[in-house]
Amino acid sequence: HKCFALVKDVKVFVSTEDNQPYLSIPCSEHKITSAVWGPLGEFVIAGHENGEINQFSAKSGDILKKIKEHTKQINDIQSSVDNTMFITASKDNTAKLFDSTSLDHIKTFRTERPVNSAAISPIMDHVVMGGGQEAMEVTTTSTRIGKFEARFFHAAYEEEFGRVKGHFGPINCVAFHPDGKSYSSGGEDGYVRIHYFDPQYFDFELEV
Amino acid sequence: ASPRPQTAYSFHRTYLTNLSLSAELLDDILREKPQEADGIDSVVVVDNVPQVGPERLEKLKNVIHKIFSKFGKITTEFYPEADGMTKGYIFLEYAAPTQALEAVKNADGYKLDKQHTFRVNLFTDFDKYMNICDEWEAPEKQPFKDFGNMRHWIEDPDCRDQYSVIYEAGERTAIFSNDAKEPIINEERARWTETYVRWSPKGTYLATFHQRGIALWGGEKFKQIQRFSHQGVSLIDFSPCERYVVTFSPLMDTKEDPQAIIIWDILTGQKKRGFHCESSAHWPIFKWSHDGKFFARMSTDTLSIYETPSMGLLDKKSLKINGIKDFSWSPGDNIIAFWVPEDKDIPARVTLMQMPSRQEIRVRNLFNVVDCKLHWQRNGDYLCVKVDRTPKGTQGVVTNFEIFRMREKQVPVDVVEMKESIIAFAWEPNGSKFAVLHGESPRINASFYHVKNNGKIELIKMFDKQQANSIFWSPQGQFMVLAGLRSMNGALAFVDTSDCTLMNIAEHYMASDVEWDPTGRYVVTSVSWWSHKVDNAYWLWTFQGRLLQKNNKDRFCQLLWRPRPPTLLSIDQIKMIKKDLKKYSKIFEQKDRLSQSKASKELVDKRRAMMEEYRNYREAALQNYQEQKNLRLELRGGVDTDELDSNVDDWEEETIEFFINEEIIPLGDL
Repeated sequence: HKCFALVKDVKVFVSTEDNQPYLSIPCSEHKITSAVWGPLGEFVIAGHENGEINQFSAKSGDILKKIKEHTKQINDIQSSVDNTMFITASKDNTAKLFDSTSLDHIKTFRTERPVNSAAISPIMDHVVMGGGQEAMEVTTTSTRIGKFEARFFHAAYEEEFGRVKGHFGPINCVAFHPDGKSYSSGGEDGYVRIHYFDPQYFDFELEV
Repeated sequence: ASPRPQTAYSFHRTYLTNLSLSAELLDDILREKPQEADGIDSVVVVDNVPQVGPERLEKLKNVIHKIFSKFGKITTEFYPEADGMTKGYIFLEYAAPTQALEAVKNADGYKLDKQHTFRVNLFTDFDKYMNICDEWEAPEKQPFKDFGNMRHWIEDPDCRDQYSVIYEAGERTAIFSNDAKEPIINEERARWTETYVRWSPKGTYLATFHQRGIALWGGEKFKQIQRFSHQGVSLIDFSPCERYVVTFSPLMDTKEDPQAIIIWDILTGQKKRGFHCESSAHWPIFKWSHDGKFFARMSTDTLSIYETPSMGLLDKKSLKINGIKDFSWSPGDNIIAFWVPEDKDIPARVTLMQMPSRQEIRVRNLFNVVDCKLHWQRNGDYLCVKVDRTPKGTQGVVTNFEIFRMREKQVPVDVVEMKESIIAFAWEPNGSKFAVLHGESPRINASFYHVKNNGKIELIKMFDKQQANSIFWSPQGQFMVLAGLRSMNGALAFVDTSDCTLMNIAEHYMASDVEWDPTGRYVVTSVSWWSHKVDNAYWLWTFQGRLLQKNNKDRFCQLLWRPRPPTLLSIDQIKMIKKDLKKYSKIFEQKDRLSQSKASKELVDKRRAMMEEYRNYREAALQNYQEQKNLRLELRGGVDTDELDSNVDDWEEETIEFFINEEIIPLGDL
């Protein structure tokens, strides 16, 4: 199957009920696994099966910029609340922070398991990551009760400072609430867990 | 953990790796370049060849040919005869003088069998020796192959022990120095070994495995010290003195020329003797005495003891011991313990025999024996024989521990009866305690016994309901780890046996191995890729069970501590140091504090720099963002979406009440 990035103009779709995409960007080699809009809607940032990240122009579909910082598939891309930067979650056991416009690589967060999803806190210098094994690999590994964890890293120091247990299976999706006071995670176990941070979370500081 | 089996792929890689050693190959080939020379220079005389009649001549020629064609192409051979038998010496001509030299170098001293050890000389040497001049000339100095200080790692000023790590599924091997903060890399090589590695008993050499044989590495830079060619080698063993190495290959054996097991002299690189081997199931087949003076092996009804350096049978004959099932050397003296099962009306027996005198020091009769296992305490102070018996009139199997007190006159034996099945047994390495895991999952108990001087064996303590299937004593004694490896998910219990307290209970999920460092200060637990395909890592703990490091390594396979050579200090010197320990510990503590604060300071500085860099980036990005505000408003038709509460006026507030709970509280009669 060929792979396409489809850009739909939501406004047009609603008014004309025409199901046709506004722009269709073919992508033949490595399929696109995740994508977000650029800050001013001028381009789409897409992550690929092989770890590549490309900026596709939303007008022409041309590649404006391309980088390859990850070595394996990109599972998720999420933007910061102001769209100035985005975080990628990859099968290569890392998540990376990039500048949306320049695609400069800013930070790397390392774990020992594939990262399925990552998000940037709207109000703190924190990122949250969730992951685990691919569903079909979870046969004998870590079927311990509730031991799949969401992991919190400090965005500037690249150091992990906290973990939240609770999921029975790998975490597929994480997201911060827009007000930054809670986060949610969805997992292979079929549960969505909503966590509100306690006051200590906002006061916490790594030794400087 | 066991090494992964050879696959077709790795065989292929081996071939390519060998090709890349072409520089060395070329050297060999260049030396073989034909040179103008007398034919005489290529002839060797082999003495001590078996004298055979015409019916066995063909076979003899085949054996000789097989052995000697290793060194080059044999162009002519001559077997002088007298009275219908070969004379006992032969002449072989090679294609080049260099090949003849190789034959002399390698086959001289080769032991064909008990009665025939080849003596190989160049034909021209006879001439030379006959014409020796009366004045003696000092031999020419050979350039000394200096490998540097082979004990270099012991001189580390911070007394860091080294360990080898194999990871990336065997593609990379690295040597680290152990530091509590983080491992310090010494050396790292791709494809250093093809399967796994082994350290020699005193830590001098690192042995690596290759399709063509093994290599020994050592010195400060881990240069290649020696190479032993044994095609398809799969197992090795070192003599305790590090003078000899034994290699096994399932490929090499032939009836005439035993090659399955080869014993090599490490310093000279020479092959000392080859042996047959039916099965490598119980490696090492040859067991060494503690001082390397003897090595022995068992076969049906026979115990064969050889001595070094001659590699010949002690007293030129093996011991006939009917029914011998198992034997082992005392780790402290040249005493062999062996046992034979019941034979008609003769009960099963455990015998202790002194070597080389063969005097029976002690014999112990045992009744209704099903099986025995021999466990020596590391200094040879005690021998424990675990005896599984079926007492008369019962069906079940009970276990006794027969404890032999080796240091006491006439070796008295005490018996400890165990009510449950035994999972593991281990002596304290240099003490008089032993630990036993017994029972059946989930009721596994750990019992600690003390062999006292007054003839009693006291049960000090028993911990019940343990998640453990293995016992790991510290090499210095007193401390130990009870571990539930593999199927028990890596449960760990750190015990101080001086008062049998549990210092710490922890877990390394799916741990497959536990390794103490040689000093007994640190323990490493690890999850090997060979047994579990994820979370491959090794963790470093203190002897008390405090976790220091978690080291993740891509497809980590094996960690082995480098052994230390025995101390050079006398007992008195050690006593003095222990006495002055307070003085030394003050200095060390200061050093530790300094390096701790240095590390903290480094970390703090690093964090400060990272934060500053990040803040600068965010400031610039934010500025950009604000400058783009108008563009955003334009895109969104004038609606400000920058803040959550940017459009409070658009919000509609709705209050909803819904029923949660009803509680009826009687107020009593009003």
